[in-house]
Amino acid sequence: MDSPIINPEFLTISPEQIRALTPYLVVFGGALLAIVLSVLRVVQPKWPVFIAVLLTALAGAAASQMLAPEAEVSLFGGMMVSDTYSNIFNILFLMSAAFTLLVSFKYLDTERMQHPEYYVLVLLSALGMMLMTSAIDLIVIFIALETLSLGVYVLVGFRRADRRSNEAAVKYFILGSAASAIFLYGTALLYGASGSVRIDQILSLVHSGGAEVSTPLFALGAWLVILGFLFKVASVPFHMWMPDVYEGAPVPVTGFMTTGLKAAAFATFLRVFLGLGYGSGLTAVIQSHIHDVLWVCAVLTMVIGNVVALTQTNLKRMLAYSSIAHTGYLLVGMITGTASADGYASVVLYLVAYAAMNLGAFAVLSILATKDDVGLNLQDLSGLSRKHPLLALAMAVFLFSMAGVPPTAGFVAKYQLFYGAVQAGEIPLVVISVLCSAISVYYYLRVLVFMYMREPVAGAGSDKRSVSPWAAIAVLGMVFATLQMGVIPAKMISAARRAVASL
Amino acid sequence: MAWLESNLLSALVFFPLAWALVGLALPTDSSGKSSSGKYWALTGSLLTFALSLLLYGSFDANGADFQFKELAEWIPSLGVSYHLGLDGISLWLVLLTTFLMPIVILGSFSAVESREKEYYFLLLALEAAMIGAFVALDVFLFYVFWEAMLIPMYFLVGIWGGKDRIYAAMKFFLYTLVGSLLMLVAIFYLVSLHKTQFGAFSTNLLDLYKVQVAGGDTFWSPQSLVFLAFALAFAIKVPLFPLHTWLPDAHVQAPTAGSVILAGVLLKMGGYGFLRFAFPLFPQAVQFYQPMFLALGAIAIVYGAWVAMVQPDIKKLVAYSSVSHMGYVILGLFAMNTIGATGAVYQMLNHGISTPGLFLLVGMIYERRHTREISDYGGIAKVMPLYAIALIIMTLSSVALPGTNGFVGEFLILLGTWQTSRLVGAIAGTGVIFGAIYMLWMVQRVMFGPLKNEENRKLKDLTGRELLVLAPLTVAVFVMGVAPNFFFSKMDTSIARFLEKSRATPVAAAKTLNDQPALARQGE
Repeated sequence: MDSPIINPEFLTISPEQIRALTPYLVVFGGALLAIVLSVLRVVQPKWPVFIAVLLTALAGAAASQMLAPEAEVSLFGGMMVSDTYSNIFNILFLMSAAFTLLVSFKYLDTERMQHPEYYVLVLLSALGMMLMTSAIDLIVIFIALETLSLGVYVLVGFRRADRRSNEAAVKYFILGSAASAIFLYGTALLYGASGSVRIDQILSLVHSGGAEVSTPLFALGAWLVILGFLFKVASVPFHMWMPDVYEGAPVPVTGFMTTGLKAAAFATFLRVFLGLGYGSGLTAVIQSHIHDVLWVCAVLTMVIGNVVALTQTNLKRMLAYSSIAHTGYLLVGMITGTASADGYASVVLYLVAYAAMNLGAFAVLSILATKDDVGLNLQDLSGLSRKHPLLALAMAVFLFSMAGVPPTAGFVAKYQLFYGAVQAGEIPLVVISVLCSAISVYYYLRVLVFMYMREPVAGAGSDKRSVSPWAAIAVLGMVFATLQMGVIPAKMISAARRAVASL
Repeated sequence: MAWLESNLLSALVFFPLAWALVGLALPTDSSGKSSSGKYWALTGSLLTFALSLLLYGSFDANGADFQFKELAEWIPSLGVSYHLGLDGISLWLVLLTTFLMPIVILGSFSAVESREKEYYFLLLALEAAMIGAFVALDVFLFYVFWEAMLIPMYFLVGIWGGKDRIYAAMKFFLYTLVGSLLMLVAIFYLVSLHKTQFGAFSTNLLDLYKVQVAGGDTFWSPQSLVFLAFALAFAIKVPLFPLHTWLPDAHVQAPTAGSVILAGVLLKMGGYGFLRFAFPLFPQAVQFYQPMFLALGAIAIVYGAWVAMVQPDIKKLVAYSSVSHMGYVILGLFAMNTIGATGAVYQMLNHGISTPGLFLLVGMIYERRHTREISDYGGIAKVMPLYAIALIIMTLSSVALPGTNGFVGEFLILLGTWQTSRLVGAIAGTGVIFGAIYMLWMVQRVMFGPLKNEENRKLKDLTGRELLVLAPLTVAVFVMGVAPNFFFSKMDTSIARFLEKSRATPVAAAKTLNDQPALARQGE
């Protein structure tokens, strides 16, 4: 990047680089294949496309799994990197895409919107997430962000005939674009201050303590970039878009957004955040500013997310606010990661755990939803344990996990996260966090009250739902993951540690 | 068998759970009512009890601190281990749990009519979690069991409870959870302190005993705050005045089995927590807060008794009597001497026998008449003589008549408290009188006098099954009242060790003078 002349080595790709690119190539190829299959029209396209996309996602995940323990490979002249961190997140994105697909298959039939584009879009957004997490160049991050966002914008508005869905899509599009613009503006300012858009170069500049990094320009640029991400992860006060979008989007898409998208945003946020030198060489003033402001954001996010969730009667909306609350906990991890022994491993672990339990919860909701996503109010879940004992049990596991009750993934994740925060000396913050999560227990348990302690009511959606085998696999898989991480978390924790070690 | 010998505690914890899981797979018959689930659960709980008797047999009273130890890595990166062990105190609490469980299950045979399979599954799962909490020697593991106990209890109260069951279940869960979450923060603090002082993370309790927490003599010092976080969790569980308000709701709304377990075992969790965690970990803070807890304990005793006196509902009366009785436990523990501590542990066991007995009796009469109002009864003794005898025995045990178990516990506690603070001892002593008043008055109004209510004439006396439920408890009342040494012999050493660890300043003189130096500093 130092010289404007095109360097010949940028144009050749070594075998290791090809190898490191396997997951991306597989997913990209799979997406192209799926597009072709969807227009072939030899048979009804839903089966071939569904199978192709599902297999692609699994193959991509397998490739990432294989690559994860390998050494870091720099790609495209240092604009991207394939390391354990990106590969572990690739697995997360592709698995969450795969599980979303499993859940969607039957759902799309009931909603009468079985269009093959849906599957392709899910896969392409997953590709965007993968690219974003492995990018270390702010411009590439921006491009990847747009790639994934475009896919998700369409998915959110996929229920074309429904006004809420359309409204959600437009709202998300406008606000999302604003966030992207803020991010891009921050990138420009950072470039102006430091002369580079590459995270590693900015970081080494910070470490060298150059005069550039103490300029207001740099600080402003850093702030705008951070704001862009705060917007994407829906931290208070940038959370307004989220409940409406989550409510309007089709249920499986909401599930995908809360897991894949959120994990992608946080994973990239973390990379950039550390790249800006948080906790490792920023001038004391900027450092403490960022710390203090994020501290306030985290507290507000937790409090507002949890308190507003208390009053929700629609489950999708409740889970949207609970997702905001979980963003707050993750921000606690972001603030304190540098000062604790486990570092940011707890954030990675939390994202994985959150993905498992949330995907599961949304999978259950997708099964329960009747046409146009009706039947997702608390009232409609009355007596679920009588009608669908296993679904209710699975939902109970996910809800206990979100509430952070052992022995579930949510507990281990919270344990590690807050534990790290105590090590960092942020005891008041942790006390606020655990009290907030005590609030959250109320609304999670209220769902259980309806499922287990009330009699079924007659009315819309009171009939028994048929559960497709695909969705059943998804729910079972997530129950297994949630409990497995709760009971024997050691393996996942060490994977998370290796991931952040490669940052 | 060799495997069983070295993994007896694990077997004890996980056997009920595994048994319960298998029980879920049992086929239900079409009628749904006479399912085999209850017999399956009863067998499981009896087998668990048999397993726990093995513990009693091979526990060496003068042996190591913790016996039957099992230690394995669990989450090495966080210093979390799977560490189980048993001392003379937890031995009895585990035995109490396994002893009560078959009684509870047998007692529910006719009370539970809907969703039997789930009901018995939850009971056995609860048993597993309770045993786990009593034998865990790793704070992480303890916390996991401690929280896991809430889930089955929540469902037991919420699904099979009375009219306001949902409110009661929520209140129970949230109250307990808030306390334990703050304890979790304190655990984090303690574990990171271990890292600073010893260079490694460890949640192993025996490692944490070595951690020095600064301060303890002012409110804002770390040790005080950390102690308070632990104490809050345990005080809610005990429950100590003024944190007891969840208890009457939960007790009254819970099904009989829920009340029995709540009173019999879950409340003991609080006392046990103080004993195992709060005291040895934070000796200075315990010293500092001793007067406060003594005062709260005394208030709980008197207040609980007064409130119990005016209850129109028998079950609520028994619930408030729990507040009063558990106040004695707190008093005994915070008296900080051997007599008091022994009394406190003994009182926990007593309360685990007599109050469950009372709750079962209330449940039995409720099944017949569907009312618990004292005023609906009167003169029942004429139609239900056996019931009357059982109720009177349990009542006398509850009011601590000499010869019953209650007497031994309360006597020791009052003696111990007297040594520490005469004022508190005197106040607590009045609690015994009030206790006798409300319990005996209740018995008088329910059992004796003219048989006014016509509906009560048709009441049937205890059935064979109900007698079978009550017989072990009745035997226990007298055995514990007459032969306390049988119990003391296994726990004396452990109690001495507990006090040793909880002593703020282990000076040589303190041993000979018993607790006088500590007394002088308190200015009592």
